[in-house]
Amino acid sequence: MTVTPKPTGGVGMNPMANALSIILVIAILGAAWILFGGYALVFKALVAVILGGVLIGFGVHFVPVGGAPAAMGQAPGIATGVAMLAAGAGLAGLFGGAFAVNSDLGLVTSIVAGGIGGALLMAVTCLFVVLVYTYGMGIPSASGKVKVDPITGDSQAEYKSQGTEGHGLPFSSFVGGVIGGFLGGLGGTLIYYALLKVYEDKLPALLSAPVAGAVLPVAISLAGIFAVGIFLVNAVLAAYNITGTTEGFHDPKFSRFPRAIVAALAASAACGFVAILVAAM
Amino acid sequence: MTVKVEKIEGGTPHDTIMVAGLLASLVCIYLGAALNSMAGTQVFAFFGGLAAVAAIVWGSDTIKGLCSYGIGTGVPSVGMISLGSGVVAFLIATRFSWYYAPIVLVIAAVIIGAIIGYMANDVIMMKIPVMRRAMTEVAVVGGLMLMGFAQMTTGSYALLDLSATKTGPLGLLSAGFAGSFIGAAIIAVAFILGAIAVQHPFNACLGPSWKQDRMIMLAAECGFLSMLPVAFMSIAYLTVPAVVVSIIISAAGWLYTYNQYICLSKRDAAMWLDAKPIKEPEGH
Repeated sequence: MTVTPKPTGGVGMNPMANALSIILVIAILGAAWILFGGYALVFKALVAVILGGVLIGFGVHFVPVGGAPAAMGQAPGIATGVAMLAAGAGLAGLFGGAFAVNSDLGLVTSIVAGGIGGALLMAVTCLFVVLVYTYGMGIPSASGKVKVDPITGDSQAEYKSQGTEGHGLPFSSFVGGVIGGFLGGLGGTLIYYALLKVYEDKLPALLSAPVAGAVLPVAISLAGIFAVGIFLVNAVLAAYNITGTTEGFHDPKFSRFPRAIVAALAASAACGFVAILVAAM
Repeated sequence: MTVKVEKIEGGTPHDTIMVAGLLASLVCIYLGAALNSMAGTQVFAFFGGLAAVAAIVWGSDTIKGLCSYGIGTGVPSVGMISLGSGVVAFLIATRFSWYYAPIVLVIAAVIIGAIIGYMANDVIMMKIPVMRRAMTEVAVVGGLMLMGFAQMTTGSYALLDLSATKTGPLGLLSAGFAGSFIGAAIIAVAFILGAIAVQHPFNACLGPSWKQDRMIMLAAECGFLSMLPVAFMSIAYLTVPAVVVSIIISAAGWLYTYNQYICLSKRDAAMWLDAKPIKEPEGH
């Protein structure tokens, strides 16, 4: 039997790998600049996709993920994995944002609508998680990572059961979840918006459509499926960065987020470049 | 000290499964496309589904190798990142003609997967020995699954055929962009069918009594089960004989693999009790 240490995921950063990733991002941006005529629609869209990916990677760190220990009342947070929570918040945000984009409400309104969609889903989820924990399972909310709640200042230690890492959903985690959902929805909608503009511009010629509006279903669907794909890649990379459970922004693991941002930069640059190439090539 | 959760002993080596899965998947895709165009029919579209099954079998073994290290986020996350990176590679490949597309898909998926694997292993510092390789493999698996399902649904995997429809045999759709594989977002159904099918086998079979043949049988079962809805969706795009052949092959494959999986589960179980429904006591 092979014996291998479990990944611990320390706080430090790997300078060499980070430098290589940044070079990769710059190379991809440079390729987009040269191939698609400088500071044009395609280049702007690629920058927006990268920015969206970074927002997603950062936002996931706010979401209080409890996993299986939370379901047993032994760790605080929502009792499921990062990928599921992030996908839920991101897709809810994407639906809200896509609706706003297709109503021609402009960039800012659209992406904020997406953010509010994600935040709303996380708020509803957190509310019912608290209700089920408190009234269904009889678990009080207590953080195991901090002595006092950083927002309300309530003391936590008295309510924490011995042998657990805290339980329930403390107020700060609730707020963190809503912030995470907002950032995730914002990022997802930004990716969708940027890709949709590229496809609306390039697809009619590519598919030799009789009128430009005819390809709108294809453009929307392509932008949507790419937004989902790039969202999931960034969310799962951020989830790997957290390795398991987190309480939200007051958790010590939150300080690892710079690594996830570098990873999100490079991963969304690569995926976004190829996604744009589908129509622009 | 924490140790690797699962042991990798016995069974077929992973390299063999990888080569077999990749070759079987590519051969099925090419066979479907070549036979269809040579015979001038759509009856061989089901080969796309078989390609997806081969990819799922390979992917489930890759996920087993990766998730044995305890990645801390649950097995489903690998299924999601597999299709998330695979869909990008698949759609760039659709831009090429049918004999280049599968090869372009593999190359694009290897590049994207290698970048994601490098991010996960070195930037995020998971430091899992198989991380880079596993991320590369699951990206290829995700792309091949989508290409297989696309071929099974529409009989083609070219971007033009996937975004504009010919009218289906039952007249369900108006011809045009809105009813196509991409325009009607059937690609999203294929996406999530693949993501669930590739992560489920190891998620369901993990544990101290994990056996490779049982997991692979479950992977094939998941693949054939995913082929069934794809076959039903192909009603909108393919001729009646092609749809009937697809449904028969998916149903037969699913029944056989499900049966085999139950037999293997009985073999590995400590005890097997055929439970009956609880009888309500009389007179109350």
